[in-house]
Amino acid sequence: MLRRKTARLVMGAAIAVTALWSTTAMAETVRMWTFLNPEGTAPREVALAQIVKDFEAANPDIDVVVEPQVWDQMTPKFLAAHGSGSAPDVIWVVTDFLGDAIQSGSLADLNELLVNNWPEEKKADFKDAYWDLTSVDGKQYGIFTSRNYISLVYRPDLLAEAGINPEDLKTWDDLRAAAEKLTVKDASGNVTRYGFSAAYSEQQADPHPMIPHILASGEPLFHPDGKANFASDAGVKGLEFYTQMIKDGLSPSQAATWTVDDLFEQFASDRIAMIQGSAVRISTLQSKLGKDKVSMSLWPGVEAGKHSPAVMAGWSVGIWSGSKSQEAAAKFVDFMLADPGDKLWTEVGGQIPGMKSTLTELKEFISQPGNEYLSVAATGAAEAGWLSPIEFSVGGYRQALNRATQQVLVEGKDIKAALTEAEEHFNRQNGR
Amino acid sequence: MTSRSTGLLYIVPAFSALLLVLFSPVFYGVWFSLHHIRFGTVGNFVGLRNYSYLLTDPTFSGTISRTVFHTSLSVILTVAISLALALWVHSLPPRRGFLVQMIVIIPWITSTVVATLLFKWVFVSDIGMAMSILRMLNLPDIQFLNDPNSAMGLLIAVSVWKRLGYALIILLAGLKSIPEDYIEAASLDGAGSWQTFQHIILPLLKTPLLLVVIVLTLSNINTVESPLVLTGGGPGSATRILAIDVFDRAFVNYDLASATSLALIMFLCNVLLVLAYVRLSKWKV
Amino acid sequence: MKSAATMPRRNLVPWKGMLVGLLFGCLVVLNLAPLIWGFLTSLKSEADLFRFPPTLFDFEPTLENYRRVFASGFGQSLAVSLTYSTITVVMVLLLGVPAAYAFDRFEFPGRKPLLLLVVASIPLSLGAAALLIPNYIYFLKLGLTNHFYTLPLIYTAHQLPMAIWIIKGTMEGIPRELDEAAIADGAGHFTILRLVILPLILPGLGAAGVMAFVGSWNEFVASTVMVDNPALRPVQPAIYNFIGYFGREWGPLSAAAILGILPILIVFTLLGRLIVSGLTKGSVKG
Repeated sequence: MLRRKTARLVMGAAIAVTALWSTTAMAETVRMWTFLNPEGTAPREVALAQIVKDFEAANPDIDVVVEPQVWDQMTPKFLAAHGSGSAPDVIWVVTDFLGDAIQSGSLADLNELLVNNWPEEKKADFKDAYWDLTSVDGKQYGIFTSRNYISLVYRPDLLAEAGINPEDLKTWDDLRAAAEKLTVKDASGNVTRYGFSAAYSEQQADPHPMIPHILASGEPLFHPDGKANFASDAGVKGLEFYTQMIKDGLSPSQAATWTVDDLFEQFASDRIAMIQGSAVRISTLQSKLGKDKVSMSLWPGVEAGKHSPAVMAGWSVGIWSGSKSQEAAAKFVDFMLADPGDKLWTEVGGQIPGMKSTLTELKEFISQPGNEYLSVAATGAAEAGWLSPIEFSVGGYRQALNRATQQVLVEGKDIKAALTEAEEHFNRQNGR
Repeated sequence: MTSRSTGLLYIVPAFSALLLVLFSPVFYGVWFSLHHIRFGTVGNFVGLRNYSYLLTDPTFSGTISRTVFHTSLSVILTVAISLALALWVHSLPPRRGFLVQMIVIIPWITSTVVATLLFKWVFVSDIGMAMSILRMLNLPDIQFLNDPNSAMGLLIAVSVWKRLGYALIILLAGLKSIPEDYIEAASLDGAGSWQTFQHIILPLLKTPLLLVVIVLTLSNINTVESPLVLTGGGPGSATRILAIDVFDRAFVNYDLASATSLALIMFLCNVLLVLAYVRLSKWKV
Repeated sequence: MKSAATMPRRNLVPWKGMLVGLLFGCLVVLNLAPLIWGFLTSLKSEADLFRFPPTLFDFEPTLENYRRVFASGFGQSLAVSLTYSTITVVMVLLLGVPAAYAFDRFEFPGRKPLLLLVVASIPLSLGAAALLIPNYIYFLKLGLTNHFYTLPLIYTAHQLPMAIWIIKGTMEGIPRELDEAAIADGAGHFTILRLVILPLILPGLGAAGVMAFVGSWNEFVASTVMVDNPALRPVQPAIYNFIGYFGREWGPLSAAAILGILPILIVFTLLGRLIVSGLTKGSVKG
């Protein structure tokens, strides 16, 4: 079937000549969907291109065809393609939809294809919260890459200017005090730089920064039956913490409708000193501002010395259960995510390592100025991280919390009422 | 011209393409929406359950009324402004008229997301040009998106801005097809210019106006890109219109059943609107 | 220039030239500022992109963004889009002319409802993002995804209803006496279409063709979903590639966007007048 497809493709080559010819060789083809374009010039894209090239050189009998996708349509499209029996061999699934992908039966068991052949050390090398998330009933449905840790991103130069040592941000009160110090006004009283901000638009929403407050209190974000649990005391307090900063002028009121991209552009133009930000974006920010001007730290705690858990996310790479080239695909996944891919992702792509051994092997690289965020995120992932559950679908939880924030800020709605409404909205949308 | 089957023969190629690409997917969509959808695959037949779920959604009526408001205001403003512009351009010497026309169509021929992103960066963002100039003049910032009413206003303004070029071109063509003598005859009769416009030009522009109104209405209802980029439905639910609602159901909540059902309801409204317009204008086919 | 421009050549209608001139002045700012800003942005290095307050000209211009854009395969996307749009225009005219001819000159069962169906299907071709997944499944099941003809086929169907409308309108303006004279000479229907009608509707074909070209050039939703092979991807997804999961890369994004607008601007500069005069001939006649 696949070969017939290739053949038909070739017949159409009259229009788009060159790139198609590579698929006509006798080699086995492995198709992969990802949001990265291996022809692109961003660091991660360069890393991927290098990995594919090295792999094909080492395995001349296998052709890897990367088919870049629009990232937010990729998982729905993959599941639809799975239902129709024509999905790609290798697929990247975003954390929030991982449960759906596994339950739909679209992902093959990597234990059988790959992991069972690994030496014990290699398995241990990968074992962490991400690994456990994708391991269900003794089957392994994916290996994570592009790991994301969403916590406090700050400007070390501005903090130093204000006499703040980032190590001293131990409690939420410390964070607020720092934000006060970092907020700068001009002569006429207009704020020229805000102390802290997050982005609260419903589009491209990052998880709300109140979630660490909830998790630190020991409350879960979702009940075991999948119903939302946003309006707990910790939740109310958490949301109040951020809305109060806006009301007091430490955070911009415009943040109510900012997307994450807006937030990062504001940060890049010196308008904000600290933001909620994700580790995966730091290398991009550093290329704009300079390596020494962007750093990351774990969230403060309710009490000193105990960091609040940050939301983690990422992309789980799996193999399609209907693939005819599962073995070749497994070979590639191994190469891409374990050896030697993991090092390339880190060194070339600026990504958090997936294997503990990479952390030690690249010790020197990671300790270079500007690269510390890699170890901060890696430590955080091991000690103070939270991954959204996969037993039930959680699509829309980020949006529900952001909408509640907008209602509090713009409509003056009571915090508890807004969160309760967010719970109801989430439950209804997910049929709970 | 009597052969009854010859006509059919001539439309067969076009209709085969339409049937394959446009019509059949709708039937498939209807069939799809009558089933339980899980993980993007079709499950058990559930009848109209997906639809009744939609209609009982407490946010539904608000979304509909915002959509009606947004669409009707955008269409009225676009038609009014483009008509004024078209009359003006028509009175200009050809070269200058063409230049005006080229400037007005720029937003229309730029891809929606990029055009909206650039518009937002230059005029709305507080790190953009417009706000910097305001600050240089010691004027306060304008935060369009912090207030529900101004956010909706901005959304409508951008919709008008984006589609003005299309409306201008069609109306201009309509104006040019009105024979010069009609207007001259009217002026000889001593009809004032407003009366000339009202009684001669407007009726002759009926068909192009109809086309413009139909296309503008439909594209306002269905376009998701610019509201997504501009407001994301916020603040609160102030700019949450149908297109965003459908998009979020499909790609944020991954609830394909309700997204498809809602899209089909929208589609039905679109068709009814077209038929209503055609009816109202007594368009002869 | 403004006051000169508002001098009415023909005293058509009731209005205040000044007011419209002012309105147009606003439009010039609203339309050109983003375009100019986008162009300047495309010449900025990463470090200059987000300086605050923003700078208009105080930066070191660089072609780095354009180099990056072409390095990521944009040239090929441009060629693909050009091919797709041209095929679409040809197909739309090939299918649209006979259909318009039939609707205008023949009486056949179901003529009226079918023509209404054509008009009613205009919304179907306007970004039905919500029906994306069912549509995708439908195309998958027929094996129509991921071929060189996939997108031209879809674009053709999208652009057909509007084209049929425009072309039929143009034909309405051609006196039927011409047909009858040709019939008297013994010509068949097809000969009439080819030799009598076609030469007279060229402006209408131009208008329909340019509309189809612009429509297929700017199409985004289907082009992201219906093909996977990078060699088959047209220009819009290639532009959007720079609005990625890791944020907007404004430098290459604006460079790609500028490159994406250019062909359309050229088409319009060359054929813009044709559109208006083509539409004038009929479709929009009262």
